[in-house]
Amino acid sequence: MKVGIPKGLMYCRYHPFLVTFFSELGARIIVSEDTNKNIFDTGIKTCVDDACLPVKVFHGHVDSIKDKCDVLVIPRIMQLQKNEYICPKFCGLPEMVLNSLDDLPAAITEPIYATSWKNLYSWAKTAGKFLGKSNNQIKRAFISALNEQKKHKTGIADTGYEINIALTGHPYNIYDSFLNMNLVKKINSLGMGIMTAEFTEEGILYQEAENLYKRPFWTFVRENYGFALNGAKGKKTDGIIYVSSFNCGTDSVIIELIKNSLPDFPFLILKLDEHTGEAGINTRLEAFRDMLERRLFSDSHISTLG
Amino acid sequence: MIATFPHLGNVYIAVKALFDGLGIDYVIPPQNSDHALNIGAKYSPEEICLPFKIMIGNYIQAIEGGADTVILTGSCGPCRFGEYCELQMNLMKSLGYDLEFIVLDMPKDIGIKELINRLAAIGAAGRKSRFEKLKATKSAVQVMRLIDETEALAHYLAGYERNKGECKRLLHRCKKEAMKCSSPEEMLSLIKEYKKRIEYIPVDINKDPLKIAIIGEIYTVIEPYSNFYIEDKLMDYGVSSKRGLTPSWWFKNMILSPARINSLNIKKASRKYLPLEIGGHAKECIGEAILSYREGFDGAIQIFPLGCMPEIVSKSILPAISRDCDFPIMSLVVDDMTGEAGYITRLEAFIDLLERRRENVLYGS
Repeated sequence: MKVGIPKGLMYCRYHPFLVTFFSELGARIIVSEDTNKNIFDTGIKTCVDDACLPVKVFHGHVDSIKDKCDVLVIPRIMQLQKNEYICPKFCGLPEMVLNSLDDLPAAITEPIYATSWKNLYSWAKTAGKFLGKSNNQIKRAFISALNEQKKHKTGIADTGYEINIALTGHPYNIYDSFLNMNLVKKINSLGMGIMTAEFTEEGILYQEAENLYKRPFWTFVRENYGFALNGAKGKKTDGIIYVSSFNCGTDSVIIELIKNSLPDFPFLILKLDEHTGEAGINTRLEAFRDMLERRLFSDSHISTLG
Repeated sequence: MIATFPHLGNVYIAVKALFDGLGIDYVIPPQNSDHALNIGAKYSPEEICLPFKIMIGNYIQAIEGGADTVILTGSCGPCRFGEYCELQMNLMKSLGYDLEFIVLDMPKDIGIKELINRLAAIGAAGRKSRFEKLKATKSAVQVMRLIDETEALAHYLAGYERNKGECKRLLHRCKKEAMKCSSPEEMLSLIKEYKKRIEYIPVDINKDPLKIAIIGEIYTVIEPYSNFYIEDKLMDYGVSSKRGLTPSWWFKNMILSPARINSLNIKKASRKYLPLEIGGHAKECIGEAILSYREGFDGAIQIFPLGCMPEIVSKSILPAISRDCDFPIMSLVVDDMTGEAGYITRLEAFIDLLERRRENVLYGS
């Protein structure tokens, strides 16, 4: 049995779980390649044109492995925390894929509620039953998959740079180096260190988001807003770079919330879509670095003559 | 307290009845217009959806009329509407307006106590007895239901009417005169009378007009300004139209949802294509499309604001329904940059297409 896992969206964070779970069940895992031009283009061609770039690219990933596998895993992540969604498009992701692409193999589209072990196990059970495995096998695979996931740490925390910036945004925008045109390397090569939200404790994120009028109902509101606010405190970071995809509904709100809470903090928003030009991104990053440099090191030496 | 609220189709008529009954001072923002949208688009975040921008325009125009408190419903996502209140509070504050917000959220999100507190804050401004308050609420709900029924009737009969434009004229006159009423009882009897008049307009039962269902995102389908008065245009073309999402449907749906017995027909119809609730009204959109196909409609038009997350999912499902049922569905995306001419061209082309699918192409009125 060949199980296909597309390398899009939250794969970057939860691949140890998915891969271990299905390989422990004795399946052969087919993972799509890293995002490339081909995947990118098919995604844009097949997906509905109003969707955001990461969702389009996910379609491309599915398309690239659909002929190579017997079962496709389309994770429908409903909630990662209780009463917190990611985005409506995540909840309807299988429907989007199944109705946009032709000749797809059978797909596991069971909703994932990762709010507790018990809820997550009910997903594992359905997925395992789909492959015709017994309860015992599923339980064993599930436990080792969870352990594997726990060992896996994502996130970037650079040290030794003079300027440090908080890189915020959805993880699939930050870690897909094709989508964001090697953003992480670019920032590093400009002499700026990066911190990402994963290294900030959950409790601090909760605390920061507490002063919002409305209890956040998206996971990434708490993660990005809390991290940005915490990063701005006490010179932990010198600026914020927010990578967002064009037409992202949640980001349009999160960015506003951050702007409202941090009116005088350097804040750069990079929008990604299929037309984004690399030169424009470079220019903006360089300008942001220059601005930070002047702000930090030569506050009073700016010539009025320019 | 001088209350105001954002526009949503005919809700202003019911809210007038409610506030008249409660004895609360209120300002109804001027009807939505390009001016309101321009104000909203100027101050709103760039990528937020269209309803947000129009609502900001409403608030600022209402403040100019003397309002100081906004009453707004809320939700707890996953759609962006739930975050509106927070962003709008911040925005109005940064613009220098001293505006109070009363957000009516579902009790499961803020707790029943908090909801009662917030409702009490509205009620306290009126100084009426509890009985009078309940009576006012009841008649406001009745007004909402009646005006929705009257409107649905006019939209449907517009395809059959003998004297062209009669339905539209009566409907508009009804709304206009309802706003002149000074008490909820007067308004109720007026709308009832107009409903009867529309019921008894001369119709040609031999006609077989095109029937189109309007589906999509709730704000843009209900608020006529945001969809370029699509229903009025369809009435002009002599097309019968139906829209499942109305303010009274929303109210009923909200009341019944804790018991999970809301919109059972929609849930059943949409199960094959969208088994789960994904926020917004995506499930309703899919369900309405299938129901209208079963009811013998000729086609459906989906309307949603640019970037509406749930509707993007339903937009990608609709072609599958269209293919499986041989049922034409067109998606129209609206935002503050939409040009009316292009919009009308697409609407006319869609109606032509539906007409040509029938055997007698020359038919039309």
